[in-house]
Amino acid sequence: MRLVVESRTRPDLSAADDRILAGRAADGDIPAFEVLVRRYGRLMRVYARRVLGSNADVDDVVQDAFIQAWQHLPSLDDLGSVKSWLMRIVARKSFDRLRARREHDDIDDHERPSPEAQSPQAIVEADSLEHALSLALAALPVEQARCWVLREVAGYSYLDIGRELDIPSSTVRGIIARARKNLIREMEGWR
Amino acid sequence: MSEPLSGLEPDDLDGHTIEELSDYLDAGRSPADASIDASPGCQIALAALARLRSLSGSILDAEASGEPVPDESWISGIVQNIGREARAGRSIPLSHPSPSASLALTEGSVRGLIRAAGEEAGGLVVGRCRLDGDVATPGAPVAIQVEVSAYGDESIPAAAARLRTAISEALGRHTELVVTAIDITVQDIHTVTGDGSEGAS
Repeated sequence: MRLVVESRTRPDLSAADDRILAGRAADGDIPAFEVLVRRYGRLMRVYARRVLGSNADVDDVVQDAFIQAWQHLPSLDDLGSVKSWLMRIVARKSFDRLRARREHDDIDDHERPSPEAQSPQAIVEADSLEHALSLALAALPVEQARCWVLREVAGYSYLDIGRELDIPSSTVRGIIARARKNLIREMEGWR
Repeated sequence: MSEPLSGLEPDDLDGHTIEELSDYLDAGRSPADASIDASPGCQIALAALARLRSLSGSILDAEASGEPVPDESWISGIVQNIGREARAGRSIPLSHPSPSASLALTEGSVRGLIRAAGEEAGGLVVGRCRLDGDVATPGAPVAIQVEVSAYGDESIPAAAARLRTAISEALGRHTELVVTAIDITVQDIHTVTGDGSEGAS
């Protein structure tokens, strides 16, 4: 018989799965929460950037989202779904920020075409389909990219998107249809 | 590769619109619409929409992998903020020789003891812990529920037995809880292969 004590593995928290980390964090273990921050910080940032339409406020929004997540983790029923739960929180924080921008009427400062917009040539030369889509998305008007991501990536309904962005859902439908057409045309260049 | 796209306007789609085709795709092309199914223009557009959709699920993950690693000051900003709110939970009394003095542990600190016992035991990572019972009343029976993940290729019952012993010793040393059960639930099992990579099963 093998001596198990000798081969005992001492797993590192950074390898632990989401459910375990979320459970520890719900119980107050800060290092476990920090692993979740490192694991999903970048994903939450790209998502927030797509919803906000610019880099402005992204760091603050994601930071706020994590702080709120920490406060509410003890009441999360399905700890294994912490990733999609975090995504919903960062979306809500982003909507709040957009609402505040609307109230302050400074939309124009933030809604300029995204500086990362790429030439069609860059899309043709993209090294993968995902990269090509990412470039095509960056070339879209901010509102189209925002609504498309909320619908197609985050799974929001037209109605919910309209409610969060304070626009009629029929308008949301039209915006998303234009986004789809533009994305399909841009992606045609990538073969 | 799909056929070349002629256009996405109603003239190219036998009178249909991209909105309608997206809805048709959302509905799983059901009920079948003969005027869409028989239209070559619609079929090409549907294929393009489906291709776009198949990428949408992974696009943010792909973008995230190209994103710079968050800087440490940003992470510590979060950690400092959350650190102000400890999860104390219930208060667990400890006896004290002086009747006028009171001494208590927090439930959160007991959970910390259980996690530390898990580190000592090895082979398992402790997740959420629950203390079931009236911990505020001295002598009341308390059952401990612990979720764990198993790592490595050793026997899970052996690792669980070690964890149970470690928890029982730690609680016996630092608390006066009357522990009637320590229930361990293995949530998942990660096997470590020879090359050091991991797979979940």
